[in-house]
Amino acid sequence: MVVGLSAAERRYLTDGIAQGLRNDGRGLYDFRAFSVELAIIPQANGSARVRLGATDVITSVKAELGRPQASRPSQGRVEINIECSSTAAPQFEGRGGEDLSLELSRALYRSLLCNNGTGPAIDLSALTVIEGKLCWNLFIDGLVLSSDGNLLDVLAIAVKAALSNTGIPKVEVTSAAAAEQEADFEISDNPDDFSGFDVSHVPVIITLTKVGRTYIVDATEEEESQMSSAISIAVNSAGHVCGITKRGGAGLDPSVLLDMISVAKEVSKSLLSTVDAEIMAAESRGDDQM
Amino acid sequence: MAASRVSSYSLESQRVSLARGSSALISPEGVREDGRSPHECRPAFLQTGAVNAAAGSAYAEFGQTKVIVSVFGPRESKKAQAYSDIGRLNCNVSFATFAGSVRGKAGQSTEEKEYSQMLYKGLEGAVALHTFPKTTVDVFALILQSGGGDLPVVLSCASLALADAGIVMYDLVSAISLSRLDTNLLLDATLGEEINQDGSLMLACMASRNEVTQLLLTGEWSQANLSEGLKLCLDACTKLAGLMRSTLKESTSNIED
Repeated sequence: MVVGLSAAERRYLTDGIAQGLRNDGRGLYDFRAFSVELAIIPQANGSARVRLGATDVITSVKAELGRPQASRPSQGRVEINIECSSTAAPQFEGRGGEDLSLELSRALYRSLLCNNGTGPAIDLSALTVIEGKLCWNLFIDGLVLSSDGNLLDVLAIAVKAALSNTGIPKVEVTSAAAAEQEADFEISDNPDDFSGFDVSHVPVIITLTKVGRTYIVDATEEEESQMSSAISIAVNSAGHVCGITKRGGAGLDPSVLLDMISVAKEVSKSLLSTVDAEIMAAESRGDDQM
Repeated sequence: MAASRVSSYSLESQRVSLARGSSALISPEGVREDGRSPHECRPAFLQTGAVNAAAGSAYAEFGQTKVIVSVFGPRESKKAQAYSDIGRLNCNVSFATFAGSVRGKAGQSTEEKEYSQMLYKGLEGAVALHTFPKTTVDVFALILQSGGGDLPVVLSCASLALADAGIVMYDLVSAISLSRLDTNLLLDATLGEEINQDGSLMLACMASRNEVTQLLLTGEWSQANLSEGLKLCLDACTKLAGLMRSTLKESTSNIED
């Protein structure tokens, strides 16, 4: 993304960061305030909209019944797909957003599910209905409506919120058929008869953007345009690192890298509690409306 | 080399045969399926000048993984692209249709696109892009046989090919991956180990500058495991960089002869 900054503006931005001051008044490791809305898409099993500054994303979770893969008969499957809408930026038009979309969806997938789909964040065996025959497949779709930096972190929050909002209908197996036969089943049509989804293991992602010699959390688009390198670190509630993706740029000294990881862990504690609180608040708002 | 390979099963059945838990992949004495110890890399073979028409090229063989990388250019950037006062690096990774146990499909897969992005990100920090303004260098990688750790092999091989083409770089990039099975950290994992892993780490670095150019981590890691894994990878990268350097030296001394 091209941000038109004059030389003076660039200087103001980078020198400020070097002295621990950012142009919107935040400290180096401060997140912008964000808001979460849940259940905004009635057709989906779960959905959320998260706004962080001017960055605005929607995620939806759809569950479909399908056959498990032969190599993993006791697990469901999760697919993550992110789309950058051309309403967010003209560069996203046509195939323009493809690279970014792929980068974001793969980074999310790796953090949530490891690269062979056995990750610790989502309990895939909970998605099984009949082993080897029937399972729930989750399709997580993200849509970037407006972008002002830090897309990956916002998407991770939105995915966590959407999953917490996801209800999977109860399935009743009516005949325990023999091994070769298709099983008969009934999906409960009672809207209150569904099981929730445990999201306590879903990590948050913290992207540390290096500008000059310092690194900052939750960079805006202007700040991202001045980055020398950036690294996204996923941390879960146990304080364990669940995924790291370096987002290009110059090389980093290994000791700086370890520093960045410990900063990310520190920041994740407060972020996780804020995310949980925001999700709770959004849930109670939703209950009031009903 | 063909003796140990599963011949013509479908990918699905190979996956099933490969999915057998960590106990089958590493013996209690710490011997892996191909006889290596956990922290031992696969035997590597590197060669520059594999493709005649290219400005520079390299071939790499790490165990069962075989890749070839050609570098073309610098050439004039396409007219459609905006003016740029630094050079462009155009990276493309593709799998040969016969690279895996199932025949690959024509057209670029998501995996190829992702690998291309990763290759670019791993190299951009190492190439002195300002030395070829307004022009493009093409890096084309072909995975001939996929046998685990494909991306790191492509990365190392590509930096060797760039050096062979005489593109100015700050340092050679060497890369290695590591798989975690339960508590075992297995360096330079094979395909079988990768399928069964519950965590992975890939590190690309410029060894003599002590800079990490790419880092990918999946799975849940404790701090102790993470530090150990990073250290193992850094050490292995340093060793690999030495091997790459001697390969380059050898190829230039051959020219002089």
